[in-house]
Amino acid sequence: MAAQWEPPPATRLDPVQPDPSARLLVVPALAGCLVALTLGIYGRLHPPTGVAVDIVGFSSPATVKAWLASVAVVFALVQFGSALVMYGKVPWVAARPWISGLHRWSGRIAFIVTVVVAVHCLYALGFETFDARVLVHSIAGCLFFGTFTIKMLALTRRGMPGWVLPLLGGLAFALLVLIWFTSAFWFFSIFGFRR
Amino acid sequence: MKIATPVITLIVGLALAFSLLFDDMTAVSAKKAALAAAAASAAASASGPASARASASVSAVASVSAGAAAHSPSPSSTLGFVIPPHANYTGEVQGDLGDIAIAVHDTFAIAYFCNGSTQEAWLKGTPDGGKLSMTGKGNASLTANYALGHIRGTVVVNGISYLFSVVAVHKPSGLFESIADVRGATIKAGWIVLSNGAVVGSMMPNVNAAHPTSQAAPKLNLSALTAQYEGTTIKVTPVDGETGSGF
Repeated sequence: MAAQWEPPPATRLDPVQPDPSARLLVVPALAGCLVALTLGIYGRLHPPTGVAVDIVGFSSPATVKAWLASVAVVFALVQFGSALVMYGKVPWVAARPWISGLHRWSGRIAFIVTVVVAVHCLYALGFETFDARVLVHSIAGCLFFGTFTIKMLALTRRGMPGWVLPLLGGLAFALLVLIWFTSAFWFFSIFGFRR
Repeated sequence: MKIATPVITLIVGLALAFSLLFDDMTAVSAKKAALAAAAASAAASASGPASARASASVSAVASVSAGAAAHSPSPSSTLGFVIPPHANYTGEVQGDLGDIAIAVHDTFAIAYFCNGSTQEAWLKGTPDGGKLSMTGKGNASLTANYALGHIRGTVVVNGISYLFSVVAVHKPSGLFESIADVRGATIKAGWIVLSNGAVVGSMMPNVNAAHPTSQAAPKLNLSALTAQYEGTTIKVTPVDGETGSGF
């Protein structure tokens, strides 16, 4: 006896739904954009004062910021390295339990240090456009804090696509290095490694 | 309700930013309070697109340029407030490697850089809509933008480039010069009086030499506008963009 012929299932007429987990990114992304825009608009509208709090032992606020920015980049390198280990991208180093703690704390320290530098930068120098270096620095500075905000908020939600955290972390790292190159690196290359 | 630790990181960062901002503001607030009254009346008369920026910066150092525009007739109240035609700017260059003074008076600008000893340069140029491009002897050059009582740019002296971002100042701060004949040689000295009262000056003991050298200037007597050099009293003239003196 022939098997009952079943009509094939109806063709799907409704569109394939995109991965709903990426929707969780919308609120953090909006928050990050808000942060970046606020910093940029503040930097542009607030007339820079050229003055800020001095720190003893350094020759000028510019050197303080150059050194602090470099310290932040060192911690960011630790961030980057620990992230690679956590994702198993470094074959000869096994991910230990303390690696994630190292990652989080090096990130927190780097972030706090950048906040100190950025407040002085925005208040005393502002969002500048008079040459390419300061323009890139100003834009990257705003984007960095926006990206960092998104990354922090993204960490509070579960179920996001796997590419989100590495993308945001990598972007934050790249922006911070760009900021450092257009400021501290430039400063040290002209004025030397001064205190 | 347990707050996620990344959010705590953001909150700590935000709190730190606000406390540092408050710190910075109180460091500058005394200066601002004194000039806020003058700025308020200038902002009220400003009109058009400039008023948005004017109201945002009413309590800021920009009010110094309002003071400058108020007592010298400017072509239009809005342009004069944003790009002051008469102003003096003095301050330290970045890295504290020297000081810069720029005097702007309508279509002419004079600038002077010195580090109080061997590095100095006089520059001249024509201001153009808030932009300055100046040149001086020995391939000295200066490019800057200025607006709302603030000037920022770069000056190159003897092949070294210095960045500066300084604000407008009033008497007694400013730029001073002296050109005199002492014992058969023409000397030229320049002094920059900063807003914190410090005075930095260099001089060329022989302007007409093939390669004029520079050294520290003699002490400036600001109240008498004189200085002593090799037993001779030399007269000092202010280079003042607000009055046009020295131009």
